[in-house]
Amino acid sequence: MARALARHWGALVVFGAAALVPIVVRDAYFLDSLVLILLWGALSAAWNVAGGYAGQVSIGHASFFGIGAYSAALLGARWQQSPWLGMLVGIALSLAAGAAIGYLSNRLKGPYFALSTIAFSQVLLIVASRWRAFTSGSEGIPVPFRPGFATLGLGHVAWVYLALAVAVLYWGIQVWLEHSRFGYRLAGVREDEDAAQALGIPARRLKVIAVTASAALTSVCGTLWAQYVGFVDPFYVFSVDLSVRFALNTIIGGMGTALGPFLGSILITSLETYLRATLSGVKSGFTGIYLIVYGVVLILVVRFVPDGLAGVAGRLRARRARAHA
Amino acid sequence: MSATALLSLERVTKRFGGLTAVREVSVEVRAGDLLGIIGPNGAGKTTLFNVIAGYYRADEGRVVFDGHDITGRPAHAIAGLGLTRTFQIVKPFGNLSVLDNVMIGALTRLASTREARAEAERVIAVCGLGPHAVARARALPLGLRKRLEVARALATRPRLLLLDEVMAGLNPTELGGMIDLVRRLHADGLTLVVIEHIMAAMMRLAQRIVMLHHGEKIAEGTPREIASDRRVIDAYLGEEFVLAEA
Ligand SMILES: Nc1ncnc2c1ncn2[C@@H]1O[C@H](COP(=O)(O)OP(=O)(O)OP(=O)(O)O)[C@@H](O)[C@H]1O
Ligand SMILES: [Mg+2]
Repeated sequence: MARALARHWGALVVFGAAALVPIVVRDAYFLDSLVLILLWGALSAAWNVAGGYAGQVSIGHASFFGIGAYSAALLGARWQQSPWLGMLVGIALSLAAGAAIGYLSNRLKGPYFALSTIAFSQVLLIVASRWRAFTSGSEGIPVPFRPGFATLGLGHVAWVYLALAVAVLYWGIQVWLEHSRFGYRLAGVREDEDAAQALGIPARRLKVIAVTASAALTSVCGTLWAQYVGFVDPFYVFSVDLSVRFALNTIIGGMGTALGPFLGSILITSLETYLRATLSGVKSGFTGIYLIVYGVVLILVVRFVPDGLAGVAGRLRARRARAHA
Repeated sequence: MSATALLSLERVTKRFGGLTAVREVSVEVRAGDLLGIIGPNGAGKTTLFNVIAGYYRADEGRVVFDGHDITGRPAHAIAGLGLTRTFQIVKPFGNLSVLDNVMIGALTRLASTREARAEAERVIAVCGLGPHAVARARALPLGLRKRLEVARALATRPRLLLLDEVMAGLNPTELGGMIDLVRRLHADGLTLVVIEHIMAAMMRLAQRIVMLHHGEKIAEGTPREIASDRRVIDAYLGEEFVLAEA
């Protein structure tokens, strides 16, 4: 117990703080930021399962986000179905799409794989924005707000705790990856596929499983996000910006670490919220500004803390451990 | 084919485009053997390992391991049967610790990570890697990375281990240690096939030696027989070796 606490003190601080905030803060703006930090963190954690733990760097994870968002939005808007059912449909579709992408990772390596994932998300964007009769095309679809847990029509505080529950669950999945037989073998595959196979590890199967799971986890958050924000715009949910964001949060926070994606999300989401507030007078090109911010942060991280923010925390802990030794 | 063969190659051929890297090679390895494979650079030794272990598919011929026809089976399935190999160009899991590297090998047979860690610690001690257990694999010098290559394979508890030049590039102390290690493994009952250029080591270790040249098996016999075989001397050893041995 004490060992587990010592190892996971960072997670305890982050998630503990998130749990306490709604008790003391009632400011809707602040709570909104917190929900987004947790959702983007969970999404980055989902990306991390493929990109960090399995070494399959995708820049097309917006595909699964969009599938989850559209599944719930369409089922809700067209057939008045519960978003929970939409979530299940999104999971099923993302499992299939994720398995296809995972299979692709056995054919295409590194940059070629990354490019093919972008292409996949662009294809979905074209379908969603052109198939007017079904998706409402580029207009997007509003997600009706119907109060209640069954319809995910929740207040800010409830959203914080729902997002927090998902965040902790995803964090737990990553911790499991670090300690389980499956996770160890997956790390072997990430490090060297040939060597892994010599140890009896079915490398290709493990990669497909990891990418498929990552896709389903992303889809779940896509559904939640659509219900939270209340509107699904194809140019946003299938955007490369979004895919890059999942990757970037994780790289900045620490690839292949359980807490890294959340640390990255805290930094990037807060920065973005801050900029949005301060620059709200400036009309044009927000996305451009965010790209510059992403770029600068990324350069700083790669230059000064190449193993990400979680790496810094790890080093601090090691130093403390030495001081106590 | 004798009934006691653990591994038998039957007229195995592997071509790369117009180049025949391995040509109709037949070899038998019985349980408990320590077979050496020698031959000049490019003779097809590593290619033969790649075919046996499932990394390349033989164009012709069969590979039979312990009664299973493993020709064309995927590498991980062959390793699962108890036949594993090391890589001439070592392939450590670079970002992981030595302990984690070996543990991943141990997880091939063990379901529990706790048992696998204990097993890995035992294998690490046997291979003399104890002081380096927590070091990152990529930070190790070559001599230790070669040992790690062997340790990781051993942790899978193979019945047949293929060692591809695990002694190349070692200094004399490391070389002595590696020869001792291979000897000990063999004495403990492990069946080994060993590719090595260092003839002195091969003469001390192998019970039988197969000589490859341009992809063909041109000689097979005890170390004594090989060392005095005219074709081997002409193609590989040279007259100096014979004089030095005499
Ligand atoms: N993947 C490949 N594609 C094309 N040619 C290959 C491939 N692998 C090996 N070869 C060729 O096959 C021949 C045999 O190579 P191999 O690596 O088996 O030799 P070797 O006996 O292990 O040599 P060394 O002692 O230098 O390790 C060489 O001519 C080599 O260039
Ligand atoms: Mg070779």
